[in-house]
Amino acid sequence: MLWEAIGFYSLALFLLFFGYKTITVPNPIHAALYLVLTMIGLAGTFYNLGAHFIAGVQLIVYAGAVMVLFVIVLMLFDLRAEIRSFTRGLFSGSLKVISAAMLAGLALGAANSSVAIVEPQSLPAAVDTTRQLGHLLYTKYLYAFEALGVLLLVVAVGVVAVSRSKGGTHAQH
Amino acid sequence: MGTDIFEITVNFVKMVVIFLMMVQIVPLLVWVERRGSAFIQNRFGPNRVGPLGLTQLLADAVKFLTKEEFIPERGYPFLFYAAPVVAMIPATLALNALPLSVPIQVEAFEMFGQTWGPYTFLFQGYEFGIGIVFVLGVSSLAAYALLLAGYGSNNKYSLFGALRASAQTISYELAMGLSIVGVIMLFNTFNFTEMINAQSGPLSFSFLGKAVEIPALPNWGIFYQPLGALILFAAMFAEANRLPFDLPEAEGELVAGYHTEYSGFKFNMFFIGEYGHMFVASALMVIFYFGGYTLYPWLTPESVGAWFAGFSPTKASVLTALVLHVVFMAKVVLFLWIFIWVRWTLPRFRYDQLMDLGWRTMLPWALANTIITAVVILIMRTSWGS
Amino acid sequence: MPSIETLMHIGLPHYMFLSAILFSFGMIAVLMRRNVIVMLMGIELMLNAVNLSFVAFARESGSLNGHIMVFFVMTIAAAEAGVGLALAVAIYKKFHEVNIRFFEHLRG
Repeated sequence: MLWEAIGFYSLALFLLFFGYKTITVPNPIHAALYLVLTMIGLAGTFYNLGAHFIAGVQLIVYAGAVMVLFVIVLMLFDLRAEIRSFTRGLFSGSLKVISAAMLAGLALGAANSSVAIVEPQSLPAAVDTTRQLGHLLYTKYLYAFEALGVLLLVVAVGVVAVSRSKGGTHAQH
Repeated sequence: MGTDIFEITVNFVKMVVIFLMMVQIVPLLVWVERRGSAFIQNRFGPNRVGPLGLTQLLADAVKFLTKEEFIPERGYPFLFYAAPVVAMIPATLALNALPLSVPIQVEAFEMFGQTWGPYTFLFQGYEFGIGIVFVLGVSSLAAYALLLAGYGSNNKYSLFGALRASAQTISYELAMGLSIVGVIMLFNTFNFTEMINAQSGPLSFSFLGKAVEIPALPNWGIFYQPLGALILFAAMFAEANRLPFDLPEAEGELVAGYHTEYSGFKFNMFFIGEYGHMFVASALMVIFYFGGYTLYPWLTPESVGAWFAGFSPTKASVLTALVLHVVFMAKVVLFLWIFIWVRWTLPRFRYDQLMDLGWRTMLPWALANTIITAVVILIMRTSWGS
Repeated sequence: MPSIETLMHIGLPHYMFLSAILFSFGMIAVLMRRNVIVMLMGIELMLNAVNLSFVAFARESGSLNGHIMVFFVMTIAAAEAGVGLALAVAIYKKFHEVNIRFFEHLRG
């Protein structure tokens, strides 16, 4: 009980601190690196929640692939310092902050009233969870899984089409 | 972690010892690399300091520690300092998750006027239950060390080296992950220990539903997954940024790549990270394809345990674990030598050739290997004629 | 003010609160930042917060469907990051900056 609380609160502090830094630092590369730390903290939280395989996938997909791409693209751009990293306009800015705060309040309220909805149960041990996850993925959710495969193919083709350059080093004269 | 103070202490010490093992193997490997390259190129190599040049390592360590610290003036000091530390983290975490020998069973004993209950100590830092997934996830973080070093140095060559290196790392990660899928399907588990246990007997498989056993050969993964082993080994070279894939630090074009601005001990830490990567790569090859800490006809956990039947159970368990650990390390050292051998034998690729090899050759072959493995496993394990 | 007992007994609401706060962080980043890539990172943060609540619910209800949803969300997020970064590269090639206000020039 005590250890669970300590684990949760240290992870929550880690996540909130680096999440806050992500959205406030002006340099986009620093923001990306803080986001990487947030992702690693989330992997730890997933592990803490018993989703061992999901934690590993989070580490591989988000921290290891998606965020590396972000950092590489930001480095290619070589944006020195952002002069104006936040939105301009006092009125629209305050409107946006208020809407975000309202959303946060709504989400917190919903979370607060969700306490009684589900009955706590326990999942089986980690290795079995992974096996069952694979089984579910290939039986009950097979159609969605295949649809995701098609989606990824379409996205890959689209990305190649968008980022194909006609100038620069790949120019064909 | 453990239930009482003794178990927690031992588990903690174990992690530190495994980390130190990784660090301590680096000077030895550097010596082997320099003497080995000299042997391959018909030279002498370092042979002046101490017998066979062995104390050259100590002299190098003193040199590294006393060199001037240099920080690029307009870089980002925090990122610059963080990069060498980050370079060492993935290899350390991954090595701690690998089983280096059989678990040690300790009987209950008396100490400080108290009985300390029976323990089982795994011969590894920690066990997460997702074995391979954890190792893959941690080693995919290796790209950040390069990116941090390249960006923190504020140097064009460093940045180019870092971008090349990270692009190479994430390209070859695909082929690496896919070649491991074949192993996972074959042994039907994520757990390293279960994998090694499956490889400790004679070669046995089911052929169209009938069990076949070949007693002359061990049940190693290499006999089922030769293509996967080749792809994994080649991808590991790219992951560790070693020749023939060491484009990131191509001296002729990029001065020294991402560690151009590093000197002294910080440079040394990048070195430790690289050799740690080699160590983990060799250990993974041994675990997946070459039987881990077992050597079937002679050295299996049962037969080695029988040698020490006369000792007390605790002592026998410790001795068995140590003997099997030596077997494991012997295999790993063999692979480390192959790493060094390849470095001084093959020429380096051009950058476009490197990317072509990764995306157009290794990725399709790894995909084909996955699909063929799945189909063959399905056909072989189904009993056809009933 | 909740009692110490509620604070120490970690359950679903704690994870839901954490998830809600992270989601709001992501939303603030999307609304307030002008850099397209930082906005994309805000979206990633929001998706991750949702994943956290899925996993927390999966543990509470003892069913694996939440894990499956996390799996799908991760795939979609990776695809979305790829497309978003490609668009950002297209913007950068033209204007040498990745500000959101240049997106109106993208038609045609």
